[in-house]
Amino acid sequence: MPLFVASTMAQNAVEPMQVDAPPEDNDNNEEENYVVENPSLDLEVYANSYTGLAKLYRLIYIIDHCPSLRLEALKMAISYVMTTYNVNLYQVLHQKLAEVTTALNVPDVAAPSTSQDIPAIDNMWMETRSKKAALKLEKLDNDLKNYKSNSIKESIRRGHDDLGDHYLDCGDLSNALKCYSRARDYCTSGKHVVNMCLNVIKVSVYLQNWSHVLSYVSKAESTPDFCETQTKDSNQVIMTRLKCAAGLAELATKKYKSAAKHFLQANLDHCDFPELLSPNNVAMYGGLCALATFDRHELQKNVIFSSSFKLFLELEPQLRDIIFKFYESKYAQCLKLLDEIKDNLLLDMYIAPHISTLYMQIRNRALIQYFSPYLSADMHKMAEAFNRTVPALEDELMQLILEGQIQARIDSHNKILFAKDVDQRSTTFEKSLLIGKEYQRRTRMLILRAAVLKNKIHVKSPQRETGQAGDITIAPGTSTVLTARN
Amino acid sequence: MASALEQFVNTVRTLSSHGNFRELCEYLSKSSEVLVKNTQHLDNVLETLDIQQHSLGILTVLCAKFSAPATTGNNAQDNRFTQTQEFILNCNGEHIRLAPDTFAELCHLLTNYLVEQKQPLKGICILEKAISKLRLFDSQLTSIHADLCQLCVVAKCFKPALKLIDIDITGICQEQSYNTNGPQFDAKYFLLYYYYGGLVYLAVRNLERALYFFEVAITTPAHAVSHIMLEAYKKYILVSLLLHGKILLLPKYASQVVNRFIKPLSQPYHDLATAFTSNSSAELNAVLTRHTEVFTRDHNLGLVKQVSSVLYKKNIQRLTKTFLTLSLSDVASRVGLSSPSEAESHILQMIETRQIFATINQKDGMVIFRDEPEKFSGPEVLKGLEEQLQLCMDLDKQILSMDEEIQVNPQYVKKSTGFQEEEQPNKSTYAM
Repeated sequence: MPLFVASTMAQNAVEPMQVDAPPEDNDNNEEENYVVENPSLDLEVYANSYTGLAKLYRLIYIIDHCPSLRLEALKMAISYVMTTYNVNLYQVLHQKLAEVTTALNVPDVAAPSTSQDIPAIDNMWMETRSKKAALKLEKLDNDLKNYKSNSIKESIRRGHDDLGDHYLDCGDLSNALKCYSRARDYCTSGKHVVNMCLNVIKVSVYLQNWSHVLSYVSKAESTPDFCETQTKDSNQVIMTRLKCAAGLAELATKKYKSAAKHFLQANLDHCDFPELLSPNNVAMYGGLCALATFDRHELQKNVIFSSSFKLFLELEPQLRDIIFKFYESKYAQCLKLLDEIKDNLLLDMYIAPHISTLYMQIRNRALIQYFSPYLSADMHKMAEAFNRTVPALEDELMQLILEGQIQARIDSHNKILFAKDVDQRSTTFEKSLLIGKEYQRRTRMLILRAAVLKNKIHVKSPQRETGQAGDITIAPGTSTVLTARN
Repeated sequence: MASALEQFVNTVRTLSSHGNFRELCEYLSKSSEVLVKNTQHLDNVLETLDIQQHSLGILTVLCAKFSAPATTGNNAQDNRFTQTQEFILNCNGEHIRLAPDTFAELCHLLTNYLVEQKQPLKGICILEKAISKLRLFDSQLTSIHADLCQLCVVAKCFKPALKLIDIDITGICQEQSYNTNGPQFDAKYFLLYYYYGGLVYLAVRNLERALYFFEVAITTPAHAVSHIMLEAYKKYILVSLLLHGKILLLPKYASQVVNRFIKPLSQPYHDLATAFTSNSSAELNAVLTRHTEVFTRDHNLGLVKQVSSVLYKKNIQRLTKTFLTLSLSDVASRVGLSSPSEAESHILQMIETRQIFATINQKDGMVIFRDEPEKFSGPEVLKGLEEQLQLCMDLDKQILSMDEEIQVNPQYVKKSTGFQEEEQPNKSTYAM
């Protein structure tokens, strides 16, 4: 069973390695291992905004990355997991708990709570629970067989869905996915297709199979019935849900701009799917991605003046302040506020791997925007506005200039940044001459290649008589001959 | 034994006088064995044949002389060269073109002989003549091209080769006599031509053309790894770094072999390239010392050293893009040079060669970078532009005419119409 797989996209681990990394994470060692020390997160509220596996996965992420909240999160997760049939996860959580409690005995760790209320592992519960699960599975399976023999399409579809729900409850994601997708053959109306897509999307999100998520989102969106009746209320819910799932998938695959666009289309009144995301998540993900990738005009039009997204921003007042400060060009405050929420964001399993990239992009955008109206800027003042020393700022600016994001040059002697005036005429000349040269080169190569192909020139492996001289080259050569001719 | 040779002479004479060259070629290809067996009498045979009338006969005899096991005595070797020289200068071009493979073979043998004798300079003129006799038009490639380039590289005399390689190849000589169905043009000589040609361009510091030549060598269709391609690939990486500061992407039509076998075989060079693109000279030097042995063994150490010195220049050029003024000590620390004075000498050098435009203020040790003063105005610029346009248009015309040629090719027409007829029933079955 794939247990808690955090995004494997993470790179450049800067924080020290976590010593007691959970053993089941061995298969994705690229994961960023960091420890968050001082989160200001209200765990109770946070956990209550999710249900199902989403809640468990999020709690486990916190358990793995935040020692100060670890015990509390573990207790919550265990009590929640007892309401499901997920016996495997129960065992894993208890394993983690055992690790934590042994660590607590080490004197230098401050124990926040007394050790009495730590739940003990309940073997009885496990046994009865697995038995019950097996019984329920058998019953559902029998039902499905009955439906199939009667070949009532609607009942078969429901049977598959019920079975899928049960697998999901047990934590068996791959089987759940199988059941949900099998229901597809028995869909009779567009509504059923959309429902099937939503189920598959849900499981795919848990499995972190993002390409699957995207393809089912587009499948659902192109279902005819659904497109026609878009104005209806229930469809709004589905629409928002699809947009959020797509946004999440784009975020995970680092396409921040399209992620932002998807999240911005969500509607707060219909944003109710705790097994996937909370409205706060939508606000945070969408806001940050937009801030990192939108230009000033897009930001104003799509975020600040957007009537629907405004409501989301009200949920996250800090983020709202950040975006407004950014828009008002108060970069120092904006960056300071960003640093304040960083710890909490690092505990969010979906956005944590992207935090450093997003922050970097926001910072660069701020630098570019700061300089855009000026012909020359005093770097001392600029450094002040960005909480940096002058040499550090110089390095940052140099990087941006080399990437072509700022058209400017630095007067290092007087510490002034000058906008570069580009001579359009000479650059056009330069560019066209370069393209002409390139064209000539490529065309010559083309003519030559036509001649080569016409004369059937190609490197073949030498015949047997020259065996000894090039032994090394012959071996790979002959194998390519075989594969290349297929 | 002598009678066999007499018969040979007689046959050659009669067939030549009757103009029956096709038969003659056939006969000659069979008789080379007889000739090799009777090496000591071949000089006598040559005396009885006339260079203009019996070119093909002499050609075969000379080939036999070269391929015979090494003869003892100096006089025999000496006349081999003079005989070949005389033959190539005076032979009948029309006759020769009937047996291009043998003629090319003779030139290869001569080249090998001269390289062994360490007298490459002697053969350059002869091969030039040989090429002009064999090819039908100026931009046609023969396998002798490769020999000439080889001799030029060995002799370190590049002018004759430049004359040749400056012409862009548009056609390839079909080196095949009438009766053989063997390989038409050996890929080995194609690769060698472009490899040696690249070396010549490198020697005269025409990096752009050198890169082009190496690219041609690498993108040759291939089913197997050729050592020539491997060496060309290594040099391609180095020249690409020198010229563009990064490895240019190979075109998509490059053979799979390059990606699968040649890339892993030239790992040290890739290491060098990654170090180079990181712009850190310390890293580059580390790679250099780690792989010195490989680079020396491949005879690429000179180029590698050029790469490492170019890195400083590249870094200084990067600075000109970002800074208006910078102190010499800052330049030194950012580029990775040990002292401001070293930076000063580098910058001075680059100003002199017009690679950057800057002034050094020695009083307070500042460098002031300027923009390129080239303004693209005046008649010279327009003239240059027009020339470039003309070149592009000529190439375009050439492509169009090639396209036309294909359009009217009966085989092509037949095939393209045939396909449609076959496809149509297929489509309808699919629809059903």
